[in-house]
Amino acid sequence: MDTFVNFFLGGFANGAVIALMALALVLVWRSSRVVNFAQVGQAMFTSFVGLTVVDLTGSWILGLVIAIAAGAVLGLIIHFLVMRPVRRADSSGAIIATFGVLIALQALAAMIWGGDPRAYPTPVSYSGITVFGRVIAITPYDIFVIVAMVILVLILTIVLTRTKLGLSMRASAFNPEVARLSGVRVSRMLAAGWIIAGMVGAVAGVLVAPTATLSPNSFDIFLVFAFTAAVIGGLDSLVGAVTFGIGTGLLLSLVTGYSDASNAALVALILLALNLWFKPEGAFNHHKARSV
Amino acid sequence: MRDLMLRAPGSRFAIHAAVTVAIWAVLTWLNGSIEPQLSYYLALAAMYATAMFGMTILVGLSGQVSLGNGALMAVGGYVFALTSMKWSTVPIIGVPWNAVWSMVFAGLGGVIAGVLIGALGARLRGPYLAGLTLGIAVGIPTIVNRFPALLGGDEGLKLIVPYPEGGYPEAISQQEAAEQVPADDAFLDEFLVEELPADSATSAPADSGDLLTPEEAVSGVESGDLLTPEEAVSGVPTDAPTDAATDTALVVDVPADGVDAAAAVGSDFVLQQWQASVAIAVACIVGFLAINLVSGRQGRVWQAVRDDPVAAAVVGIAPAGAKVSAFVVSSLFAALAGAVLAQILTFVGAGAFGLGLSLSLLVGVVLGGRMSLAGAAIGAVLLVWLPELVDTVSGDRGWPDQITNNAPNLLYGLLVVVVVLLAPGGIMGAVSGGWARVRPQRARETR
Repeated sequence: MDTFVNFFLGGFANGAVIALMALALVLVWRSSRVVNFAQVGQAMFTSFVGLTVVDLTGSWILGLVIAIAAGAVLGLIIHFLVMRPVRRADSSGAIIATFGVLIALQALAAMIWGGDPRAYPTPVSYSGITVFGRVIAITPYDIFVIVAMVILVLILTIVLTRTKLGLSMRASAFNPEVARLSGVRVSRMLAAGWIIAGMVGAVAGVLVAPTATLSPNSFDIFLVFAFTAAVIGGLDSLVGAVTFGIGTGLLLSLVTGYSDASNAALVALILLALNLWFKPEGAFNHHKARSV
Repeated sequence: MRDLMLRAPGSRFAIHAAVTVAIWAVLTWLNGSIEPQLSYYLALAAMYATAMFGMTILVGLSGQVSLGNGALMAVGGYVFALTSMKWSTVPIIGVPWNAVWSMVFAGLGGVIAGVLIGALGARLRGPYLAGLTLGIAVGIPTIVNRFPALLGGDEGLKLIVPYPEGGYPEAISQQEAAEQVPADDAFLDEFLVEELPADSATSAPADSGDLLTPEEAVSGVESGDLLTPEEAVSGVPTDAPTDAATDTALVVDVPADGVDAAAAVGSDFVLQQWQASVAIAVACIVGFLAINLVSGRQGRVWQAVRDDPVAAAVVGIAPAGAKVSAFVVSSLFAALAGAVLAQILTFVGAGAFGLGLSLSLLVGVVLGGRMSLAGAAIGAVLLVWLPELVDTVSGDRGWPDQITNNAPNLLYGLLVVVVVLLAPGGIMGAVSGGWARVRPQRARETR
């Protein structure tokens, strides 16, 4: 029972990161109907930028801020150079283009920072807390990650539901034609979706980098986790992404704890396959995932 | 006239057969007349082409972007490895077990995996399918860690392939070479295949390189392998029993062919050339199957379902069935390619079949032209040649390794984006588009 509680608690932080990455996928999907498979590539790249800043200045917070800014810039660049022009291509084209971006970003990162895994520092301690004389599996850093996730989700919720920008974004996602007629500049809202997703992804990258070492490929597995969470959540739903992101993190933590870390990808795959077989539209969505 | 020829029953089949034989003959001649290291690249290109013919059908014609084909290659590779090692003494239908049987079983494994994945994936829209197959590409290779005793875990399995007589010493040196390759998790897993020639080049020449005149090599390949195209086709399950005797000769020994052939195989055996001849034969068989499927009714069915499933259903095509069949065909090809890759590396391991392999298949087929089988072949050559080109260029300019090793992937990624944006038909599309402007009438006909 003790171990179960430990694995369960440890899973929360992992789940928070998966939730953020799933959020980034959902934000892009809502704005431009593209699953951004380059998402983890962007997160990885901006984490390297953050790490470089931390190495130069010694300030973890400054690294985070610069990484977020880099995430916004990168999202904007990818939107304008690749995804906006690609809308003219067929539907396969957009998917393939995101993989092209992923490959290019990973190669570029390997060129600049090398392929060896790097350690990312933490702002607070990353060793187990002692409660009533027993070391439990949750660390101050885990709590930090969870709190950061909650704050970020709150900010996002306020931006998307309480501001004019959020209203315009939701309008252009819901019905681009009507939004355009009502004076919303839909293409700007698409760009905003990519920028915000890039920033959220950057936070997720910086938060997860200390727990999973940072290398050009080390986030690949999180693409599978985040996609699984986003799809189960309905791919369209922010609430769904957060809920099932945390859920996926908890489940994978239990799997890792009770069997082996290398099982996580397989379990995520099974989870995704079951979901796509029985309820492909996800839990919080009414759009169709199936075509025939 | 051309029209009449194409309309006569069976004539398309005959033309394809003739073209396939011609291509096979040219490649075999090429394989015999080049350096062992170039044969190695030829083998790789043929292996990529085999897998990418399936990608053309799946991604191009049936419009299902899949990243799972690297994992399906793993299925083929592991089935080949296991059956060729564990059952090497089991005769089937009176014929001793050999690489051909293992290929057959690898293909069967691919078909089964294709049915399973297709049944799930064919119902999904583009991004969902891409995500699911991404999970397959990442998740399936981790299965080897579940069964370390059987599948060798992280270490992988070393193959003992029944090479022709006299081939063993070098086969072993090749294995040692494979072991020396660091099990790095680099991106497009070409590290495994990239670094091998260099290693084997240091060990191989003493045994074989000096003995080879092109003539000897050609005669060795031709008489030793006994691959007339008809027999090559018999490597496909349907015909296997009738031609089994010659198939055995193909990989085990050539006693019936007299002293000359045996001597040629015995003394002048070059592993890379033998691997290339296997890869070329498989690629030609698979290419022949693919071109007949694509240019016939099934090809139109796949495209109809891709362009408009509802309209296709209205004219009596079952969209789901068409999508699953594209999956099954591409899995079969992928599994055969995986079996060939296993023979080229003389090794199977999760690292060799990871996400990088799946991505490189997608890159190759997109760059070459995802609507055409010729595009797949061009893409296959590109996958092998581009890193070499970059290596040469960087060698001249004195770039550091960190740049050189990653430049091919950066190029791949950027080129994929450029191709999707500017030339969705890839190289083949650009070429045939240019051709259409020159000769509009002809182009319409052959399309």
